[in-house]
Amino acid sequence: MTVLLEMQGITKKYGDFTANHDIHFDVRKGEIHALVGENGAGKTTMMRMLYGMEQPTAGRILVNGKEVHFHDPSQAIRHGIGMVHQHFMLFPSFTLAENIVIGGEPKKGAFFDRQSAADKVRELGERYGMPIDPWKKAGDCPLGIQQRTEILKVLYQGADVIILDEPTGVLTPGEVKELLAAIKGLAAQGKSFILITHKLHEVMEAADRITVLRDGVITGQMAANDTDEEQISRLMVGRELVQMSRAAREPGEKVLDIQAIKLAGGKGSKPLLDDVSLSVRRGEIVGIAGISGNGQSELLQVISGLRQPDRGTVELNGADVTGAPVRQIREQGLAHIPEDRYLWGASRDATVLDNGLMGHQQRFRKRGLIDRSSLRKVMNEWVQRFAIKTGSLDTQAQFLSGGNLQKLIAAREFAQQQPFLIAAEPTRGVDVGAMELIHGELLERCRGGDGILLVSSELTEILKLSDRILVMYEGRIAGELTAEQATEEQISLLMAGGKRQS
Amino acid sequence: MDQLFDISLFNSTLRILTPILLAALGGAICARVGLFNVGLEGLVLVGAFSAILGNHLLGNVWLAVLFAVICVMLFSLLFAYVSINLRANVIVVGISLNFLAAGLTTFCLRAIFDVKGAYYDKNMQGLPRWDIPLIKDIPVLGGIVSGHSPLVYAAFAAAILMWVYLFKTVSGFRLRAAGENPVAAQSLGIPVRRIQYGAVLVSGALCGLAGAQLSLGQVTMFTEGMTAGRGFIALVATMLGQSNPLGVVASSLLFGLMDAFSIRLQGFALPAQFTQMLPYIMTLAAMFFFKDRSYLKDAQRANGSSR
Amino acid sequence: MNVIKRTLLGMLQPVVAVLIGLIAGAVAILLIGDSVVDTYREMWNGAFGSFYFLTNTLTRATPIILTGLGVALAFRAGFFNMGATGQMVLGGLAAAITGLYMPGPGWLVMIMALLVGMVVGGLWSLFAGYMDARFGVNLLISTLLLNYIASLFAGYMVSFPLKDRTGSAAMSQTPMLEADVWLPKLFSGMSLHAGFILAVLAAVAIYIFIHHSVAGYEIRMLGNNPFFAAYGGVKRGRMMVVAMLTSGALAGLAGAGEVLGTQHRYLDGALTSADYGWSGIMATLLASSHPIGTAVAGILLAALQTGAMGVERNTNVPLEVASVIQATLTLFVSARFGYLFLKRRKERKNNGSAV
Repeated sequence: MTVLLEMQGITKKYGDFTANHDIHFDVRKGEIHALVGENGAGKTTMMRMLYGMEQPTAGRILVNGKEVHFHDPSQAIRHGIGMVHQHFMLFPSFTLAENIVIGGEPKKGAFFDRQSAADKVRELGERYGMPIDPWKKAGDCPLGIQQRTEILKVLYQGADVIILDEPTGVLTPGEVKELLAAIKGLAAQGKSFILITHKLHEVMEAADRITVLRDGVITGQMAANDTDEEQISRLMVGRELVQMSRAAREPGEKVLDIQAIKLAGGKGSKPLLDDVSLSVRRGEIVGIAGISGNGQSELLQVISGLRQPDRGTVELNGADVTGAPVRQIREQGLAHIPEDRYLWGASRDATVLDNGLMGHQQRFRKRGLIDRSSLRKVMNEWVQRFAIKTGSLDTQAQFLSGGNLQKLIAAREFAQQQPFLIAAEPTRGVDVGAMELIHGELLERCRGGDGILLVSSELTEILKLSDRILVMYEGRIAGELTAEQATEEQISLLMAGGKRQS
Repeated sequence: MDQLFDISLFNSTLRILTPILLAALGGAICARVGLFNVGLEGLVLVGAFSAILGNHLLGNVWLAVLFAVICVMLFSLLFAYVSINLRANVIVVGISLNFLAAGLTTFCLRAIFDVKGAYYDKNMQGLPRWDIPLIKDIPVLGGIVSGHSPLVYAAFAAAILMWVYLFKTVSGFRLRAAGENPVAAQSLGIPVRRIQYGAVLVSGALCGLAGAQLSLGQVTMFTEGMTAGRGFIALVATMLGQSNPLGVVASSLLFGLMDAFSIRLQGFALPAQFTQMLPYIMTLAAMFFFKDRSYLKDAQRANGSSR
Repeated sequence: MNVIKRTLLGMLQPVVAVLIGLIAGAVAILLIGDSVVDTYREMWNGAFGSFYFLTNTLTRATPIILTGLGVALAFRAGFFNMGATGQMVLGGLAAAITGLYMPGPGWLVMIMALLVGMVVGGLWSLFAGYMDARFGVNLLISTLLLNYIASLFAGYMVSFPLKDRTGSAAMSQTPMLEADVWLPKLFSGMSLHAGFILAVLAAVAIYIFIHHSVAGYEIRMLGNNPFFAAYGGVKRGRMMVVAMLTSGALAGLAGAGEVLGTQHRYLDGALTSADYGWSGIMATLLASSHPIGTAVAGILLAALQTGAMGVERNTNVPLEVASVIQATLTLFVSARFGYLFLKRRKERKNNGSAV
């Protein structure tokens, strides 16, 4: 088979930090080449170089045997390389056809020929087995269709090699199946794919070849037929993961009890939360699984007081806190690791010290002023305990890496000394070490008698930590499983809106 | 003048709304590329001054308009450079630009004309008034539509042209793309910065025309701070019109009518201060119909994790 | 990044901006055909050349510092309060009315007049905050529009109901205040009045409030990231009341101080034509909303203005050269000259664990 694309001895350094070291990687015509690795292993950096968003420090990139130097993505596009980003790069107010043809619009003089654009797009979708309605607005389409649009866009641009960066993170299991089938079909027609993911069963299902990356170095490269999930995960992590014991616990009284919460959506759309009831007892971890966007964020906002429910009650630590202000709820017994650390969890421009103070204002108030020396003392303990890498407490939070910022936020919330903790995506985008640390701390708190509500889009995390698992689908609790009953298949089915089989 | 509504009220509405409309169109195209241009007020002020200066130097009213357009385009480059290249906060840049415009015009008024407060030359020619054949003879309509300075007609033409450009042409489509999602546009090889510069320059040209209409169309003089907040009113017109050129025409019509109305009211033995207040109060009232939650959107953009 | 580097980088900004401002002024002076060095020397002398000029500069700085502090506080909370001029005008008018019509001993009337000025300025500012919080009316624009409304209203009051009919001139102004309600002068024969002391005290108080108090912390976090603040239980509405009320009150105090300390009556246009409110905003921008920095920048801007008066007295260069310099330096102070440097650092750190 002909090699379309090749990376030879690529190294990328940022200052003294080596993101990629001596990478040899190639893509053949018509193959699906999976690139797997933990968060921070250097997959994204590698692809950014292929797509012209970064330039390698050393090494060569060859397209069709000729060396190329890309300085921006449009050059990569011209060489037949297309990329579907993890966060979609769509224009929500534009139609799907407009989103696909942008950059190569059909014209009548200086005018944009929208009819012909729509026709071309419809034809393109049919040819590749991914039909879409060209006149629909991108913002009104489900994520599966948006992704289809992204793939059609790179096909329209004439890509032969398509990079898919974590394409399944936001899709329902059904949509994932469709996607994998579609790319297999395209590969049969001669298109090549680089599939970046950390979900191993998808790799095993779709990929022809697999390259494993750890700490910027390739640790394995093999045909999919010659390997199995266990081997890949060993190559990814580099050691056996510690099995954390989730010893059976006797849950205590209810610390959180919410009843029949309803939250209306916009005009004419479905409710965001529909009759949601659940409770968390002391000494248990309740996991909420679900594809993101099925009401988890809204549920957390209602519990923490950031949003008012239209109906229903929230009882925390024995008191009714429905619709109470955030501060009152926190004082009543809530600590909260938020789902988006940059948007909700921190202020980039403020110092580490100021970021650590949030929620602890009363504790460090001395005659209306902030008692900074006590705060410093306490925060230095956090830095030690959680191995937070920061220049000093006066460094701006924006200079912390994602994992370190997440550890800072976790430390801050663990220190709130409250009996109930929301942990939303507590380990998203952090390295394995930080993940183990945060997981260990969560289990520790639970043993100490706190109630924890864990929301995560990572099934493995949910399965590892939870005593009970609730699955959310379209704003409802689609099902409840105990840790003993739960299997990945059952949860996946519920996540996709299927009925539970018992 | 004891009648509140008559033909001349609507006639003067068209005259008065022109600077607001032109500036608001400038604001609209800036907004379409993601730049909230608070500096409209200053751009118009520079336009008003340079139109008078051009007329003084060149002795031709058309060259004066051209001169104003060029001056304001140059001035607007400053806005583009500081906010696009030097990454300063757009709002702060806009505010400072207003300061600079006020400072420069008063300074030049002293340095060039050696007067304080206002410059007036009774021999200076203002913009002509065009009587439109046929239409001027139609009753009512003719009295409203005909007999304005050419810039009045230019303003409406600019609105239509801009609408066609933004929504019908490929280049306008890409401009909107650059404003809606600059990161995505950049990744497609769309030259976002160049487009932003272009939009700011167009905005400068429109504000130059707006200024020329103020100082050569409505009166033939320049007074310090003669824009008197019209740039800010134009900004509200941009917001109310949702940066759609035709919407901007509608909101400018509303504000122009209010302005004309307030001038008319001065004939009714009301204290001048109250009638002068009317346009500002009406603008403020109009903002109640436009819920502004941009601070949340801005904050989301600035803090969201997908940056 | 270590602290020294960051501090230096922080200072680089204003210093470069001031240089660009002075260069712009030099260009303007050259265009007129005067000597740059002589003109700047005259400017220095006009601002600081003698004790008299120095006190003049500080007098002018007083309202600039006060309004600047108010604006700084609002900016820190994320509110673009552009209404300093209007708040100042109404504060000054209210102080004049109190000073004229309140019975009682002079010192009490004076204190009451200052307080009433603060309250009125604060409420006017709060009105814009209320419209924003309750109806989503864009604060930046509403405060701008309210300036015109306030100035016109004050103009009406002194042209009709409160007009001084004793004097011969047809000026729009209130009658003169009794001398015992005037703010005391700090030095006899000099214009500097007790308002300057208030301004300095306010700068220190606002500094402590913003940087060391819990409420100030919450205001800063709100301005940095409203989502983070909401998550942490900071109430935007309550902080808006605090920030806008205080901000307007400081502007009101600036107006009251001018009326009681300098004009001794409310004269239409006296507060607006000197552009104290706008200079205050510039001072805030220059100092990136740091209270002590705002006070220093306020004195710098006042020095430019009084210096320019000296320039006009002694050279051909008109005093408006000051506006060119201040506006240019304000324009460039927000530019991120250190941007490229910062960006490179950030990229490296972020990619350490690319998400």
